[in-house]
Parts: sequence; structure tokens; C-alpha cells
Amino acid sequence: MPAGKHKSGHYRKIFVRTPGGRVTVHYRERKPQRAICSTCLKPLLGVPRERPAQMRNMPKTAKRPERPYGGVLCSACMRSFLREKARREGQ
Amino acid sequence: MSLFTVGRMCVKIAGRDAGRKAVVVEEYENGFVLIDGATRRKKVNMKHLEPLDQILEIKTKASHDEVRKVFEKLGLKVWDSKAKKVSLRPKKQKVKKERPAKEEKKKQGKKEEKAEEAQERESVEIVEEKKEN
Repeated sequence: MPAGKHKSGHYRKIFVRTPGGRVTVHYRERKPQRAICSTCLKPLLGVPRERPAQMRNMPKTAKRPERPYGGVLCSACMRSFLREKARREGQ
Repeated sequence: MSLFTVGRMCVKIAGRDAGRKAVVVEEYENGFVLIDGATRRKKVNMKHLEPLDQILEIKTKASHDEVRKVFEKLGLKVWDSKAKKVSLRPKKQKVKKERPAKEEKKKQGKKEEKAEEAQERESVEIVEEKKEN
């Protein structure tokens, strides 16, 4: 019988074939949801989908694009935001 | 005619330098221009620039120092490429532990033993001499 914590849906199942030919169930923690752009809600590229412990071990440059608002806005939204900002300053 | 003639102030919109101000220094064909200023001196697509209404008096193909002079009058910062400082890795130095030589100790021990033995002998001899007397 699986333990109670394994029945709650908190863990994902992985079926592993053991050397003896038996198929057993292993449990892993689920990955977090994809990072999305805060304005258009599209999934962000260049932002890995890892657990916080793995994210902590990664360098900063591997976790988000190297541009202003990288990892928060998608590139198209960032461009339109900066364009509007430049036009507002000109007035 | 495009807006991006030499001397046009603009804001870079795309990439690593996005949000920084720059001046058009040279025009190329096919919609590319050379910019310099608060961004890196770079050939960029005009689609990646947003024009401002300012136009600076700058020669075509102006050098980075000339752009710097004009920018500093306006109170703007200029991109300065930092030379990489190659610092030597601190090498791990092995700390040599001074171990007391074992042989010397042994010798000392032997000497002490010998000395003790000699003392014992002397004492025995003395006792014997006393008996004889």
C-alpha cells in the first residue's frame, strides 16, 4: 500500500523497471508552473522550470534573459513598454 | 528618408542595452545604423531603436571620445568598456608541519636509559664499597 502522502497528488509517479524485471513506482516532487509574462501571460523563454533548490544552485545568468525586465516581461512587452516610456519623455 | 540620420538621439529597445540612450554615428544600407553613447558602440537594426526628438551635432563616424564630450555636456553617461582584470588565483600553499625527528628521540631515550643504568651501577658499587669498609 502506498503511504498516505503518496496518494495526495502532491508527488508525481515515475515507473521504473528494476534490474529484476519488476516495474516499481517511484515518487518525485512536482515541478513548479512555468514562468509567464506579467502582462500578456505568455510563457517566458529562457527561464528554467526547476525546484527552488535546483534554482538556487544555478548561476544568475542561467535563470533569466540578460536584459531589463528579463524573467518578468516577455521581449515584445518589454519593447512596447520602453517605446511608450521614451515617447512619454519626449513630450 | 528614415528618422535615423547622423546625430539623432534614440533609445535602444531590444536586448541587453535596452532602455539606454544612444546617438546615431553612421548610417549603413538595409536599415542598419552604428550607434554609440550609453550603449555599447554597435551596428544595430533600426527596428531596435526608438527615435527621440533631440538631434546632436556630431560628425559622421565620430569616435567614442567625441561622443563622450557631447554626452557629458548633456549630463548623460557613456558606456565604458571595463578592461578585464585578470587576477591570479591564490595558490594553495602547503603548510609543512614540523615533525620532531623520531631517531633523535630514540637516541635521547637510549642515552637516558644508559645514564640511569650507570647511576644504578654507581650506587651499587658505592653500597658494595661501604660493605667492604
